[in-house]
Amino acid sequence: MAYRNIKITKGSAGFGGPLIIEPTETRNKVLCVTGQTISPVAKKIAEMTGCELVDGFKTTVPDDQVAVAVVNCGGTARCGVYPRKHIMTVNVEPVGAVGPLAQYITEDIYVSDVSEKNLSYTDETNASAAKSAAEELEAADAAGDNGPKTKDQAKADVAAAQEGQKQNLVTRIGVGVGHVVNKFFAAGRDSIDMVIRNILPFMAFTSTLLGIISASGLGNVIANTISPFCSTLPGMIFISFICGLPFLSPILGPGAVIAQVVGTLLGAEFAKGNIPAQYALPALFAIDAQVGCDFIPVGLSLGEAEPDTIEMGVPAVLYSRVITGPLAVVIAYFFSIGMY
Amino acid sequence: MDVITNIAQGFIGWFTTGGETFTGWVTGIIPQVVCLMTFMNSIVKLVGEEKVESGAKKMTKNAILRYSLFPMMADMFLANPMAYTFGRFIDEKYKPAFYDACVSFCHPITGLFPHANAGELFVYMGIAQGLQKAGYELGGLAVRYFIVGLIVITIRGLVTERIYFHLAGIKK
Repeated sequence: MAYRNIKITKGSAGFGGPLIIEPTETRNKVLCVTGQTISPVAKKIAEMTGCELVDGFKTTVPDDQVAVAVVNCGGTARCGVYPRKHIMTVNVEPVGAVGPLAQYITEDIYVSDVSEKNLSYTDETNASAAKSAAEELEAADAAGDNGPKTKDQAKADVAAAQEGQKQNLVTRIGVGVGHVVNKFFAAGRDSIDMVIRNILPFMAFTSTLLGIISASGLGNVIANTISPFCSTLPGMIFISFICGLPFLSPILGPGAVIAQVVGTLLGAEFAKGNIPAQYALPALFAIDAQVGCDFIPVGLSLGEAEPDTIEMGVPAVLYSRVITGPLAVVIAYFFSIGMY
Repeated sequence: MDVITNIAQGFIGWFTTGGETFTGWVTGIIPQVVCLMTFMNSIVKLVGEEKVESGAKKMTKNAILRYSLFPMMADMFLANPMAYTFGRFIDEKYKPAFYDACVSFCHPITGLFPHANAGELFVYMGIAQGLQKAGYELGGLAVRYFIVGLIVITIRGLVTERIYFHLAGIKK
């Protein structure tokens, strides 16, 4: 079967790309990891390239067979997992280089906000032009690598030279302290990075939402409808049951955005005293029965599970939530006795 | 003219409320979280992934530890989403249950250790800061969330394991 090369550009709100997808005899699968339904973008890519379309939620394929992965990630995990594995990644959501794996999301391997109209064939000349451009880039990268490498080598030389002499105590303490301080500094940088990339944007979005909800009077409606539910054990068991339904849980899962927004809304009701404080613990479990249900195949493949395991593992986890979701609420309810 | 002014003021008013909430969160939540996260990230970096790996591997044989302490270590030291890579130390047939336990702990852990899943803090924080506003201490809630989380993921792991065995036709 002849494969055709295609070019994928970013959408108007997108990031990265353009990517040139060049399937080969061994690298000929389009991996679609978009929840319950196959994304039309993935379908179109498979059609255009002649690749085989694989639903990442049903099964998985070895990484080295994947020509391109199509995801619909809101910015936490999936958008970074595939770039990290050096797999070309197409995100149908307009998400840039964010999330815990942001450092791996680069323009040469990732493109976002992609719809069907962003796909086009590359004729041979274009492809080779792109290729040579890519090669040039690679060469540039290599050149870039050379700088630090020689530096590293210099460092190694110095280290080797120093190894000959026995380090005295003061030097060793100095080196040790420097080592620890560096780790602390890196940790600080990671934390600030996380705050800027994930925590602040979420706060901005949620506080705006909350502001609108409370100022427009919608807040009272929510208070009157949801609060009574969350003030009784059966009500919360019901919520967790709904969240855990196998056909709903993967939709409610992504980025825990829904759980976080609901958590914040409930928080406002706790603050006003509309829901008694002792229900906080069971509520935490009630709104989270769907945790990670959107991510099962990816999580399993991160753990290097076989395709067969994923095929049966996904429904196993989904069914389990129907039982353990409500059960968690009951356990939390008993553990919250005597808390407040 | 007055009508337009009133509408404009009302419109801006919506966002004033939002802005106040935002400032409250930035000054109330972020400083503590940043320090705690920096501390935990340093520990993780100082200990190093390799040492955790060798220690954690020993826990995978025991059914209870496999779905409690082992996922906890994974979440604590590798954080969401890399924690699931610890699945590679586990027998193939236990992987779905391990994933289930591991992912289910990535919110209960945030009460005490926000670094483990800093991108999804508000599942806990949303409710917690509401309680704080109402004048309650959060320590008890965070600790109980953690403990109940451990109990829940153990049960969840065992249940998922059974269901998976049943679906895949594996005899114990």
